[in-house]
Amino acid sequence: MGIAAPRLAVRIGRIELKNPVTVASGTFGFGQEMADFYDLSRLGAIVVKGTSLEPWPGNDYPRTVETPSGMLNAIGLQNDGVDSFIKEKLPFLRRYDVPVIVNVVGRTIGEYAEVASRLDGVDGVAGLEINVSCPNIREGCLAFGANPSGTAEVVRAVRKRTGLTLITKLSPNVGDIVEIARAAVDAGSDALSLINTLLGTAIDPWTRTFRLANRTGGLSGPAIKPVALRMVWEVAQAVDVPIIGMGGIMNALDAVEFLLAGANAVAVGTANFVNPRAAVEIIDGIAEYLAKMGIADVNEIVGSVS
Amino acid sequence: MKGVYDCEIVDRSEVAPGVVRTVFKGPAIAREAQPGQFVNIRVSKTTDPLLRRPFSVHAVYPDEGLFSVLYVLRGRGTALLAEMQSGERVSVVGPLGRPFDLGGSPDARHIIVAGGCGAAPLHFLCDALCRKWGCGGVTVLSGAQRRDAVICEAEFRSHGVDVAVSTDDGSYGYHGLVTQLLEERLRELGLPSADARPEVRVYSCGPNPMLKEIARICRQAGVASCQVSLENFMACGIGVCMGCVQKVRGEHARFKRVCTDGPVFEAEEIVWE
Repeated sequence: MGIAAPRLAVRIGRIELKNPVTVASGTFGFGQEMADFYDLSRLGAIVVKGTSLEPWPGNDYPRTVETPSGMLNAIGLQNDGVDSFIKEKLPFLRRYDVPVIVNVVGRTIGEYAEVASRLDGVDGVAGLEINVSCPNIREGCLAFGANPSGTAEVVRAVRKRTGLTLITKLSPNVGDIVEIARAAVDAGSDALSLINTLLGTAIDPWTRTFRLANRTGGLSGPAIKPVALRMVWEVAQAVDVPIIGMGGIMNALDAVEFLLAGANAVAVGTANFVNPRAAVEIIDGIAEYLAKMGIADVNEIVGSVS
Repeated sequence: MKGVYDCEIVDRSEVAPGVVRTVFKGPAIAREAQPGQFVNIRVSKTTDPLLRRPFSVHAVYPDEGLFSVLYVLRGRGTALLAEMQSGERVSVVGPLGRPFDLGGSPDARHIIVAGGCGAAPLHFLCDALCRKWGCGGVTVLSGAQRRDAVICEAEFRSHGVDVAVSTDDGSYGYHGLVTQLLEERLRELGLPSADARPEVRVYSCGPNPMLKEIARICRQAGVASCQVSLENFMACGIGVCMGCVQKVRGEHARFKRVCTDGPVFEAEEIVWE
């Protein structure tokens, strides 16, 4: 029996999402360019690009290369810094009825804490995603996220400076992601997002050089979906906080797989590049799937794989 | 406005060995695209290759709702598009990017410099300049490695503009580089001059070493404006991934997006490698 209008709303920490679809940081800019393709208010939430204390120039180029069913990137978190974000980018996003989550990056624990502090209480910011998983910069980020104690230290420092919902974004480039997930939750993270990109590289055999100026980069796209799905499932078994699942989601059924594995919400990443309307098509597709399956509320399927 | 459009291929032809033109039905893009802009085409129906491929707009026919792209077969993306026949439907994002600035004074001289397949977007530009200012003040200098690599010559000539062709191997037209032709033309126009007259506006697309040399020549001659259209590998094409950047001048050297801040830049802005 079909359901006419399944309930799609989910909760991540104290953030109410009208549907379980958000976007992966770094694949959506600060929203402005994407607003040409659909009404941003349709999204469950927007996770903006990694934001640091001071402006970061980003890495030298080439910064991206296509790989089988995926791509490598080594952008290096180019951004204009948190003050510029608040002044230049946030006013545009405030026009939309959509929670904004800011992805926070730093080279030191102090920088993470300072960015969090400047965003605390700012109108239009619903939560922070702590990025301890970007593989493309030398200091900070993955240097903390690669082990439980470093992850916990960053989360604790940020927790002290803000009452906003905290989501810790986990790296797959670790020995045991479950151990790191637990450390983040114990340190005060309200939710988790996973996975960030898988560290990889590509080489041009004719010039005998790396294809990326940074030599290595983060792999994303459909190629990584099985790895991401397995990690979401493992982490969901181990923690009690909401999970935003991501990694190679291209369509609604990919998203449903993540929900079944235990994600409460999903993020659309590289698919935004392939189809700028991917996220809204996925929202509609999840509703269609639920209707077809006779499920009244999307929360019913979370973690229901057997 | 820019969007994701499902476009039907209405014509596909090989205009020269290894050079293909594909014509699409896409009324919104045909109506709104400006010279120098590009479209991002999904050349595959599967996830491999995953990313779209950017193609500059070669011509628009707004009354018929058609636009075309013209490209040299170079890799997987161009090969896949070239295989697609009339009647096939393709997802096209566009029109994208910053177009050429067609401004200037009414008596300005416009010199278009094409290198190889860089001629593709310049045909659209030539058409627009002729419509706006008349063809009398427009010159096209088109360079290629050899005779069979010269593209769009007949199309440029059909506008009635002054056209000169150069080939690196001397198999056709002027024997030498198109940049030498440009130097010659600027000299003939009396540049550099004390009062920077006449007003000369240069537009170019082609390989980076050529663009770098054009930038140098234009600076030395004191031309009023030198716009270059850059090419770069793009992941998103819509300004969100920060992948296709180019180093530009400023207080500090910084990176701008070729897809959105470009692909057309003032040559003076570029930090050439």
